[in-house]
Amino acid sequence: MIIAAVEPWVEAPLRKYVDDARARLALLLHPSGQVVAQAGFTRAVDVMTACALAAAVHATAGELGRQVEGRAFRGLHHAGAEKQLYIAPAETARGSYICLTVFDQESSLGLVRMFFADLCRELVSAEPAVQALRGPALSVNFESELNANLSALFGGRTGGQGLVI
Amino acid sequence: MSTPFAPMLENLTRQRGVRASLIVSESDGLIVDSNVRFGQDGDRVAALAASLYRKARLSASAARLGDVAFLQMDAERGRICAVGGRSDLVLVVVSDPTANVGLIRVALLKAQESLA
Repeated sequence: MIIAAVEPWVEAPLRKYVDDARARLALLLHPSGQVVAQAGFTRAVDVMTACALAAAVHATAGELGRQVEGRAFRGLHHAGAEKQLYIAPAETARGSYICLTVFDQESSLGLVRMFFADLCRELVSAEPAVQALRGPALSVNFESELNANLSALFGGRTGGQGLVI
Repeated sequence: MSTPFAPMLENLTRQRGVRASLIVSESDGLIVDSNVRFGQDGDRVAALAASLYRKARLSASAARLGDVAFLQMDAERGRICAVGGRSDLVLVVVSDPTANVGLIRVALLKAQESLA
């Protein structure tokens, strides 16, 4: 499986997570929708779409949680006929990340949740010391940062249409 | 919250050397109900035991051996026993390695009848 990371320290924990949980796709992103690492995607446009949708779904679920019980909901699971997805936040000293995982009958929600808890621990222990906290993504530089991240993951290949799983 | 499975799980956990008994969804690997002693990670055991049972069931089926009657995995620091029950449910027991597996097996198969 192709795994690429904008922040190199993320790659080993993500690779282990994908292998252990037998995930088909995995995406680590900032809550703003900017990609940090991906596993299993072959086209930049798929990553960009999945990041935007995952960030939106996570934000929506978080706000619903705040409305319903005063704090954001965390893990979110959707089951399809053959594929399922799990979206949950991973907290580190560098800030919060969102992880989108797609899996099928080779795995189960229980396994994915279990190995996701391991991933969260491994991200915390693998992250380098925080030198300067990243500022919020601003609309003026969001697109240029997004394109830079996608170029780092796909080496300038940003074409293609549709989500290939 | 008490469930209809609570007395059965209580009875299983009362066996000598048994650390946890759980009813797990085979497809999700999530706990339906459990009776877990202090120190056991129920979620982890449930996810792995369900995965193990599912793979055993698929292997037995692929080998044309029929249904899995009883699954036992002995490890250095413990033992997992599992039987399939009603539809998607799997009954799992975690015990000490020195526990009497014969008694656990009888108790599990008896409990399985009430699941069916």
